Amino acid sequence: MTRQRVAAAFALVGLGLLSWGSYLGLWVAPPDRYMGDVQRIMYVHVPTAWLALVVFTLAFVYALLFLIRRTWRWDALHEATLEIGVLYTALLCIQGALWGKPTWGVYWAWDPRLTTVAVMLLSFAGILSLRHFLDDPLRRASWSATATILASANVPVVYYSVRWWNSLHQLQSTPKTVNSAMVEPLRINAFGLLALTIALIMIRSWIAEARRRRDLAPPLPEIEA
Amino acid sequence: MTGMIQGGWEFVWAAYGITGVAMGIYIASLWIRWKAEDKSE
Repeated sequence: MTRQRVAAAFALVGLGLLSWGSYLGLWVAPPDRYMGDVQRIMYVHVPTAWLALVVFTLAFVYALLFLIRRTWRWDALHEATLEIGVLYTALLCIQGALWGKPTWGVYWAWDPRLTTVAVMLLSFAGILSLRHFLDDPLRRASWSATATILASANVPVVYYSVRWWNSLHQLQSTPKTVNSAMVEPLRINAFGLLALTIALIMIRSWIAEARRRRDLAPPLPEIEA
Repeated sequence: MTGMIQGGWEFVWAAYGITGVAMGIYIASLWIRWKAEDKSE
């Protein structure tokens, strides 16, 4: 099986699971005792949060591996995880705002969880834009890997912020903390987004590898006849 | 009064809709960039 088929299989499994999990979350799972139907945002918000943290943790690992091994493959995976992590974190903020308005009364509050997530989004988006400004592939890879390692210090702070400080945001939702009827759609969507994320990282890293090959060996100018 | 928030489906649809559209646009952008790189190689 070619790598394209592996990526396509992960993408199809991911999209299938996400469709099924969202159907269960929107129409089958019961409404929350206090938040009512608004709580259904959880089935998309919580998997997005989990995967954003997982993807940025992977970005840290790939950045470290690039600096230790100096292999271009790790740089391509680093770029892929940066871009996908920024996308997921931006979506996380939008979903959170849409959940916050009917439950807290505001779209945004400078709460410890929200603030640390905003710092995470801005720092990794900054690293991603830094990569676009640097033309030299080695400098681009080394500088952004170092910046990712520094920015990654905030990732565990985001996770533990609701425990360390008195936060408006609820504690982490896990299968142990939510009603059993709500666990199934949450779990299905989490595995669906994981499978889709694997496919997206694979494809985005191929694009990064192709760009780096072009940067190191630009195509020769055509000779006029 | 039950203490439960009533309604709010517009926020639910907005969250799922924005997520779905954004993911669709990103997947399409990946496909276009991948094909462009494939062509230039």
